[in-house]
Order: sequence, then structure tokens, then C-alpha cells
Amino acid sequence: MKYSLMALMLGMAVASQPAAATDGSQIQSFTLKNGMKILVLEDDSIPNANSYLFWKVGSRNERPGITGISHFFEHMMFNGAKKYGPKMFDRTMENSGGANNAYTSEDLTVYTNWFPTAAMETIFDLEADRIANLDINAKMVESERGVVASERTTGLENSNFRALHEQLKGIAFQAHPYRWSVIGYESDIKGWSLDDLKQYHKTYYAPNNAVMVVSGAVKFADVKRLAEQYFEPIPAQPAAEQLRTVEPAQTGERRTYVQKASVSTPNVMLGHHVPATSHADYYALDLMVSILSEGNSSRLYKNLVDQQIALEVFGYLPMSFDPNLFYLMAVASPDVTATKLEQALVAEINKLAKDGVTTQELEKAKNFRLMQFYQAMETINGKSDTIGTYEVYFGNFQRLFDAPKHYQKVTTADVQRVAQTYLKKSNRSVAVLDAKEDKDL
Amino acid sequence: MKIIGLVSKVALLCCSVLAITIQAAEFKLPAYEKVTLDNGLTLYLLPQHEVPLVTVHAVVKAGAIYDNKAGLSYLTAQGLKLGAGGKTKTDIEQTIDFLGASLNTGSSLEGSMVQANFMAKDSAAVLPLVKALLTQPAFDQAEFNKMQQREIAALTQAKESPRQVIDQYFHRLVFGKHPYGFAQNGEPESVKQISRNDLTAFHQKYYQPANTAIVVAGDFETVAMKKQLQQLLGDWKNTQKLPVLNLTAALTVPAESQVLVVDKNDAIETTFLIGGPGVTQSNPDYVGISVINTVLGGRFTSWLNDELRVNSGLTYGARSGFDRYSAAGLFAISSFTKTDSTKAALDLALKTYQKLWSQGLDQATLDSAKAYVKGQFPPRFETNAALAELLADMYLYGFTEDYINSFQSKVENLTLADSKRLINSYFPKDKLQLVLIGKAEAIAPLAASYGKVTQLDIKAPGFGK
Repeated sequence: MKYSLMALMLGMAVASQPAAATDGSQIQSFTLKNGMKILVLEDDSIPNANSYLFWKVGSRNERPGITGISHFFEHMMFNGAKKYGPKMFDRTMENSGGANNAYTSEDLTVYTNWFPTAAMETIFDLEADRIANLDINAKMVESERGVVASERTTGLENSNFRALHEQLKGIAFQAHPYRWSVIGYESDIKGWSLDDLKQYHKTYYAPNNAVMVVSGAVKFADVKRLAEQYFEPIPAQPAAEQLRTVEPAQTGERRTYVQKASVSTPNVMLGHHVPATSHADYYALDLMVSILSEGNSSRLYKNLVDQQIALEVFGYLPMSFDPNLFYLMAVASPDVTATKLEQALVAEINKLAKDGVTTQELEKAKNFRLMQFYQAMETINGKSDTIGTYEVYFGNFQRLFDAPKHYQKVTTADVQRVAQTYLKKSNRSVAVLDAKEDKDL
Repeated sequence: MKIIGLVSKVALLCCSVLAITIQAAEFKLPAYEKVTLDNGLTLYLLPQHEVPLVTVHAVVKAGAIYDNKAGLSYLTAQGLKLGAGGKTKTDIEQTIDFLGASLNTGSSLEGSMVQANFMAKDSAAVLPLVKALLTQPAFDQAEFNKMQQREIAALTQAKESPRQVIDQYFHRLVFGKHPYGFAQNGEPESVKQISRNDLTAFHQKYYQPANTAIVVAGDFETVAMKKQLQQLLGDWKNTQKLPVLNLTAALTVPAESQVLVVDKNDAIETTFLIGGPGVTQSNPDYVGISVINTVLGGRFTSWLNDELRVNSGLTYGARSGFDRYSAAGLFAISSFTKTDSTKAALDLALKTYQKLWSQGLDQATLDSAKAYVKGQFPPRFETNAALAELLADMYLYGFTEDYINSFQSKVENLTLADSKRLINSYFPKDKLQLVLIGKAEAIAPLAASYGKVTQLDIKAPGFGK
């Protein structure tokens, strides 16, 4: 989950001393001739470093028939290239003391490596090999389909959130590719071809479509030298076609229902369309999600959990390239119906839109963001993730250091206005999860 | 955490157990001060100045093994937050949230904890609340009633996710009625029987200064912080003789292979554990054991993940690991697979596990595992919270920083001959214990080939006989 850890900021800090490495001047950057941008933060707090490679490709770049391919691709990036064949990426990395992972979202595919600094050249060599010369092996594709099918199944088996979320997206978006889940449809996971994969790699895994962040016990000059040696020879590609589809405005509430026999009480998820992260309302929306759902003094906890209507409440505002959803979810207490739970959620939204929030609530939300910022800055992983996320969502990591100002400027009137603008019934989608069949009374 | 993006690899290193034991060349535990107050309360102070944050982690030797009703230690820990020191639950929550801070409580088999994370400037506001929760909980009756209802519902809800409950079934299967087999968060029926008075009695019996350590890690000056804590907690009194529990007396080892089939009739996959008795927290060989486990199931290229995921596509992830306690422990292989490949996945996991004996490690594999555990160590102690938890575990389980600081040399000195001895001594080779959670009509018929079968419905109360 990505709240905007980022942003928060020196300016808002009441702390007597500035935190280390929260100052933009410590981040150095350069752009290779092929268009890849690289950000470096020297930090000797532990004898390790990491690299975060952000590729601007995610499920929003897919179409029916190849849904889930971005995520599948993320798996295939570990399955062999020219110099390092199948299995050798992981074996070589672990042999030199490194570990890795990766994740895919609606907008991004991000590859993370964590390593002792002495292994940095190996990391560059491994990354360059799979970016320039991935070998999409037919046998590996088949076994990886099984892995991804298992990933999909285990998510649905163990997470009610997952089961509801993919259904809610499916009704809230009718045109935009955010309508399908990142993992994709089962039929597509079984169906995409080698050619689909090869084309996808060529289009999106171009150095001009990536941002790399390196943080840790490294020297800027070493990172630059290795990047020039290993990455610069990889040719740029024509920019991928821009996504044209804009989701038409919603004009009335939409509903869906998911039945799962083992669910003990109903779950309800609401989604309201909101603008992209780059929109000026982002900061007010981000503080609103906090006021509604963060901590036991939040409105939903106090008025739903404390009142024994819900066992749990949850709010989520994804960072997003395109207009996306503002999510609220609740799990019913025993003997509370889905209808009652939904009415309680909606009542809280309407109360916020009608009466606004207090200055104390707003101040609290700003303090939560400040705390999160410091926690992100406590580790080299938090640093790389925050810097890179800011770079891709706001176009420049330096925007991280404007964020204090933007959060600070948000007023109680702004929060009330965004509630009135976006959290209204005609803009709402509702997903209900329950054990029994959906039928007429 | 609910993740919207998808991660390509299951987190293979799960337990804090492993985290403590993996060491890198340059890592030494940062300097800290340990003080015992006159009332027996132990303080650990570990200053770190990278960010203006502080973590307080208080640990009490009071976990589920002391329960006389299942779930009592857990409810007591949760109950600390229901009002304390003259402040209501709502007062405390508003104060903490307004500072952007967090204040949590929890319990495990052997310990309970209160943990706060906050900005350094707010020490004077947060420390008295930590004290209040630890020493003056109100256990407000109306709030207790609501919490009890929530926890009963949560126990039922947890069984919606096999992954959330399979460990509890496994503990019960291996440890039986020994305290290590107790349901840590209780069972709906037992929680119904717990009253506010039970919480008060449990608190009085175990939450005493001589049974508690408070670790502070983060951005503070040691002298001032020590003084502040002494003033706050110096007058906390011991009121009762601390009970002693004999944990070794009733320990048994499984006499035969057993399979517990837990029926979840809408399951779309089978979640499974295979294992048996493991090692204690203080086992002097644990460093070497963890290197061997890295090869077997502790990293992405481990034998189990390589066979079950990479070679066969049967699962998204397969791993193995040890859970260690003061008097005993568990070893388990864990994975999941779609219902109709259950037998294939179980057979492959068992066959791969037997390679420890039939094939053993070679030098290149051992060297790679050593490099990996050393290289991945430093980030595990990068935060105030992680350092505080480490010191709290040292208090709870009785190990010292020598265990951390000698890890490097122990890893480097490990030989192939050692690895054979460790495999033969500590990895259960036979009489394996299995838990399978899935669709019983499909998987029960194949269970008998792995041991003596018991079947339960997942909705049945508790976690086995």
C-alpha cells in the first residue's frame, strides 16, 4: 500500500533537528544518453545498498487478451537472458550476498535488489543483461503460468480484499484499463503467446522508460561509472503509444456482489472516482483518507468499530497516473447486515461532506504523514522507494521537497470540498462480499 | 498490509527467528546501556540519531503458555489499551493519534509487549502513557465487553484465511496439550469464559517490574532518558512472587507420522505444513542450522522453492523455517498449491527434503548460503523498532549480544562435516507431522499415505484435539 509517505517534510517538522537525508541536496542525479534517469543517495548507515528500478509499465498498458501480462513479465524477467541463463539471475545474486524482489501495480513495474556494496557491479551486470537481452524461453513461460495461477489463487483464497477489489474495479471502470486486476483474467494468464511477451519487452523495457534509484553505502562516481558501462549501450526505443482512453464520467451508483461460502460476516467496499495523483486535490484527498480511516481516533473506527457495527475498517487512496478510486472498506460485526454496514459507511461520508472536519483532525492527519515520512527515511529502502515514487508520479523527485508546502496549505474547507465533489452517490461503486447467494427476498 | 500491486516472490524469510541469526561482516550491535532498577525493572537504552524518532518496546514474561483459559494473556495485552492511568480508551487514542504516533500491545507464546513509536519531541507525552498501560490498566467493563465480542468474531474470521491459522493447527498437532500447543489468541468458547476479573488477576500476577524490561531505541540522550524512566517507573512495586513454569516436564515427541486434514469446503487450493520438533532458542548450533535451512528453504534459490515453484510451477512459493522457544521449537516446510496438484506438491516437497540426507550440501552450495546470510543481515537491524525488538528478545529468551557479535565467525567456520552433523541432529527425518487445509473430499483420500489421519472441519471450534 502506498500512502504518500513521501512528501512530508522538513517544513512541517516541529523537531529540533532536521532528519538526516531528508534534504534534496543529498540526492544526485544524471541521465544516460539512452534516456534512463538515475538518482543516487549516498548513505553509509549500514554497509549495504539497494537499487530500485521503476519501469513505467503496468496493467494500464494492457488490453483484453493480454491482461496480467505486465505482472507476468515481471516474473519472466527472472527467467534467463543471454549471459545469465535460466536460474542464473537469482543464483548469481544470492551467491554474492544479494537478494531481490519485484512488484507490479496498475502503473508501474518495480525491481528491487538489496546487496552488500561489494556486489554492486554484479547487480549492474545482471540488470543490464536482462534489460538488453532477455531470452523468453518457451518452457519457462509454461512453468511460470502455473506459478502466476497459484499466486492468483492464493490471493483469492486468503484475502477478501483481493476478491472484492477486482470486482469493484470491474464495475467502477467501464472503459479505462484500470477495470481489470493487476494479476489479470485466468483465461489470459493461460493464453498469451511468446510473441505477445517479446513485443511487450521491446516496447516497455526500453531504458528511456525507466528510472533507477540507488541508495546506501555507495559513491556517486561509482554508480555513474557502472551505469555508463552497463546501461548506456542499451539502445533507446520509440516512446510507447500513449493510453488514449479516458473513463467517461459516472452518472449513477453501480453495484456488484461476490459470494464466498466461508465468509463469516459481510464485507463492503466502496470506490469513488477521484483525479490522478498529479491533480491539485491529491493532498486534500490524502488527508481525508487519513481522517476517515487512520488510527483508532479516526471517524470510521470511532463510529463503526467502537459502535460494534464493524470489526475492521480500511481506507486507501492509491497513487496513480490516471484518475483512479478512493477506497473505503469495512468488515461487519456479527449479526450486522451488509445493508446496515453500507449505510453506516455512507452516513460517515455524508456527514463529512455536510459538516466538514475540525482543525484538530486535519492537524492530526498532517502529523501522521510527517511520522510516515520519517519512518520512510529511517531505512535505505524507504529512501529509494520514496524518491523513486516521487520521480515517477510527479515527474521530478525534487517535488518531494515542495510537498510540505502542499500539505500545509490544505484547509478544512478543502477537505470538505473534495468530500462534496467526489464522495457522492452518483460517483460511487459498491461491492458486497457475503456467504449467501444474492437473491430476491 | 493489503497490497494492491503484486509481488513476484513470496517473502521467504518470515520469522523474526531467522532475522536474529543472520549476520554480516561489518555488523555489530550498536552500543547500548543496560540498567536494572531497584525494583528489578530492566532498562535498555540504545541511542540512534538518523531520524528524530523513538521506539519504546516493553516486554513482560507473560505469554499464552501461562494461560489458564485460552486467550487470557492475549486479551490482557489487548485490554491494556482500554483505558489506563485515569485516561479513557478514547483519551489515549486521541492523544497518540494527534502526535502521529502509534501505541500497540501484543502477546506471543512466552511474552507480552507494549510498543510505542513517536517523534522524539513527544517523549514527555508518550512515556507516561506507556507506563500507564503497563502498570495501571483500567480494564473498563463496558470496553471489555465490546473487545470480547470483537475478539470472538475475529477468531471466527481468521479461519476464512488458511494462511492465518495453519501455524496454530500445527503447534497443536506437534505439542498437543503442552502449553506450546495452546491457542495463542484463544478460541471462541474459551474467550466467552474470560471475565474482566481474569484480566486483572493475570495482570497482577505477571506484569511486575522484576518480570519486565523496557527498551528505548532512537533519538535521545541516554543520561536524560534514563533519568526520565527512573522517575517514571522507579516506584512501580512488585506485589507477588513470580510463578515458575516447568516447560520441559510435559514435552513429548511424536511417536508416529500424523496428518491433520482441515476441511474448508469452498477452498480453491490446499495450504500445507510438513515438519516436526525443532530446536530451542538457546541452541548453540542454531547459526549453522540457519545456514542449512537457507539452502533447504530459506531463500529464492533454495531447494524447495526451486523444485516446487521454478521447476514445476506447482506453487507461488515454498519455504522452510524454525520457530524457537525457550524449551522447545518447531521445524516446518510450508507451501500451497491448487487442489488437484496436492499430491504432486506434497510428494515433491518430501522428496526434496530427503535430499538433506541422500545428497547433502556441497562446498559451492554451502559457500553461497554463507555469503547470502551475511549479505542480508545488516538491513534487518536498520530501524529503531528492529533494534528494540532484538534487545527485548534477548531479555525474554536469555541470550546476549555475543550471540549476535559472534555470528559472523560461526558462519564462516561452518564446514561440510558440520553440516552433516547438524542435519542428522536437528532436522526431523521421519515421523513427520502434516497439516493440510483444503477441500477434504478431494484431499482426504490421499492423506493416509503420509501418516495417521485425523479430519476436522475448519469451522469446528479450536485447532484439534
